[in-house]
Amino acid sequence: MSERGGRRHRVAITGLGLKAPGGLTVDEAMEALLSGKSAAETLPHLVEARSPVTFACRVPDFELSSYLGPREWRQMDRSAVLMAAATADAVRSAGLAETGQEDMGVAVGTGMAGLDVAAEVAPAHVDDPAGMPTYTVLRIMANSAAARVGLRLGAKKSCLTYATACASGATAIGESMEKIRSGELERVVAGGVDSALSPLVLGAFFRVGAVSRRNDDPGAASRPFDRDRDGFVMGEGAAMMVMERWESAEARGATILGEALGYASTSDAHHVVAPVQDGSSAAACMRLALADAGLAPAGIGHVNAHGTATVLNDRAEARGIAACFGDDMPPVTASKGVTGHLVGGAGAFEAVMGLVCAARGLVPPVANLGGGPDADLLDLVTGGPRRIPPAPVLSNSFGFGGHNACLVLAPAAWDRRP
Amino acid sequence: MDRSELSVLVRTKIASVMGVAETEVTEQTDLREEYQVDSLELMEIGARLESALGVRIKVDALLEMENVGDAVDALHRLSLERA
Repeated sequence: MSERGGRRHRVAITGLGLKAPGGLTVDEAMEALLSGKSAAETLPHLVEARSPVTFACRVPDFELSSYLGPREWRQMDRSAVLMAAATADAVRSAGLAETGQEDMGVAVGTGMAGLDVAAEVAPAHVDDPAGMPTYTVLRIMANSAAARVGLRLGAKKSCLTYATACASGATAIGESMEKIRSGELERVVAGGVDSALSPLVLGAFFRVGAVSRRNDDPGAASRPFDRDRDGFVMGEGAAMMVMERWESAEARGATILGEALGYASTSDAHHVVAPVQDGSSAAACMRLALADAGLAPAGIGHVNAHGTATVLNDRAEARGIAACFGDDMPPVTASKGVTGHLVGGAGAFEAVMGLVCAARGLVPPVANLGGGPDADLLDLVTGGPRRIPPAPVLSNSFGFGGHNACLVLAPAAWDRRP
Repeated sequence: MDRSELSVLVRTKIASVMGVAETEVTEQTDLREEYQVDSLELMEIGARLESALGVRIKVDALLEMENVGDAVDALHRLSLERA
């Protein structure tokens, strides 16, 4: 345990929930990851709008009425709806009530909050600003998802929204973990979300050359660390985890799924979108997270890489992982080959699924990975899942802006060796 | 638009904002009593009726009404004045 702060509490993870491409539950998402098949598909609304990119990874349709009444969801943006559903799943799986959680904190990471609403509403009201829907403000505000979650839970402790672009979900989990360690919070639900599959948003990412242009073969487009990668595939989705002070979780007889062991947050201060190419900045963040967890590189069972399938991220990250782990290279996977990039939801989804993989002792293969110079630096899992003993996962997240967040999470079955 | 057509329109818009079936909203429905309608929702109902009818509706006027039938009456008077 780190030396920061005074008294430090252990952090138990007691609930997980998600709504993601390929999976509406943790079990479905695990199956999708193990299949190694991309969830990307051509989306008719993108084709119709003549979007330069016509595919993405959608969250499958689900029955909203098991989470929200129609009166409520009609006021909400899709990000808030996905977040409300993922939160309900996480809270239910923790064995907690979905209302009256006065002592609970809420933390939501989002990179593009409100962007889908802006992209939908603005073009229709350029000449008629006064005619905008009454609910525009509540759907467009950056804290919409966090506010809805807090309202629904009756959570009266800190309710915060974190923005570190593609690292936002991991940042929200890491910062919340710190609040439990320090004693500020006893219980928190934390994670991330984004949903912006509009042609305007895809056009913007197309313009910076960040997204794959493989319109003719969506399933092969998201190829983390592969030599033929050409950008990330836009996804959407939400993932949340319930974290609690260890003694509180034990006292209420909760099933403890794992422990949040380590977290580090750093910035490159290098370039607004390009990572430091030698991987030194990524490696530094990973090392800090390992140190915070009190682990040597050999203590990590597998790495869930950020692995966006952009040329620059994967090159820098591969070098960073290689530098951090040296001869103790653990198996590495990258979920975005299957799910695409959930942006603000990505770091949370990968933390949740990284823990599930660590607990089940299975590292999923990286979708669409043939090989290449960056892949050669790592022990990437390909073909099928690899069995590993229960051990902590390192989950990496690196956002535009040069924001880095690394999390170390241990499954319940793992024993810290003396 | 005669009064009965107007009534259907008003009840449809209200039902859509309240997230209930159209048959659940009658002219006797009291939105505050039965749905605890808030001012945002009233504004949204007003906005939807404004764009459907091409008239300006004051939220204050909506707030003063006892039930849905009162709103239909008021809008009906408005349309007669305009005719």
